[in-house]
Amino acid sequence: SPRFLALCPTTLSSSSSSGAVDEEEQRLRSDLRERFLRTLLLMTDKQVEFNMHEKVRVRARFGASDIDVLNFQVSGLETPLGVQKEALLRCQDVISCSFEL
Amino acid sequence: MLKWRDRSPQQWQEFVNQEVCVTAHDQQSFEGRVFTVDPVSASVVLVSFPETKRPSVKVILGHAVTDVQILGSGTKESESRMKSLFLPDRTQVLSA
Repeated sequence: SPRFLALCPTTLSSSSSSGAVDEEEQRLRSDLRERFLRTLLLMTDKQVEFNMHEKVRVRARFGASDIDVLNFQVSGLETPLGVQKEALLRCQDVISCSFEL
Repeated sequence: MLKWRDRSPQQWQEFVNQEVCVTAHDQQSFEGRVFTVDPVSASVVLVSFPETKRPSVKVILGHAVTDVQILGSGTKESESRMKSLFLPDRTQVLSA
């Protein structure tokens, strides 16, 4: 899974095998991740516009994401065929999502 | 250049607080200031402060990112303005 790849990078070069470098990288990683999780928190319960492949745009209320960012749980998904009360969006199908504060 | 998803946290960190243009699948592009890049999914979080509208946040999923170009660099003010959107008042400031 993407999480496994992120936590166990296979691309670490041999020159960066010293502990200090690993620690620095881990610190950066956790800072970046914390910011991303705060973004998800901020997005929770907001009306979000999802921009999917083939220029499909749908709106829904964002609920949650799984840790690997593989699925988004949303409510009130406004599809061309009507409103879906609860839905899971596969992140592979989503290009971007946006919301206002 | 490595694919966006395969870059290291150090390389992603260099984009934080910069004004960028992200190109994604279907030739779509998105402009804004980078708040973070998720190290797990390589998704980019962009913030923009339009003058007449409310601040907006865009998340571009890592799998869809094809290129990121830096348009301009950020300042301490832009960094703290972004942080104030995301962090509750009582939380400690994120480490530099």
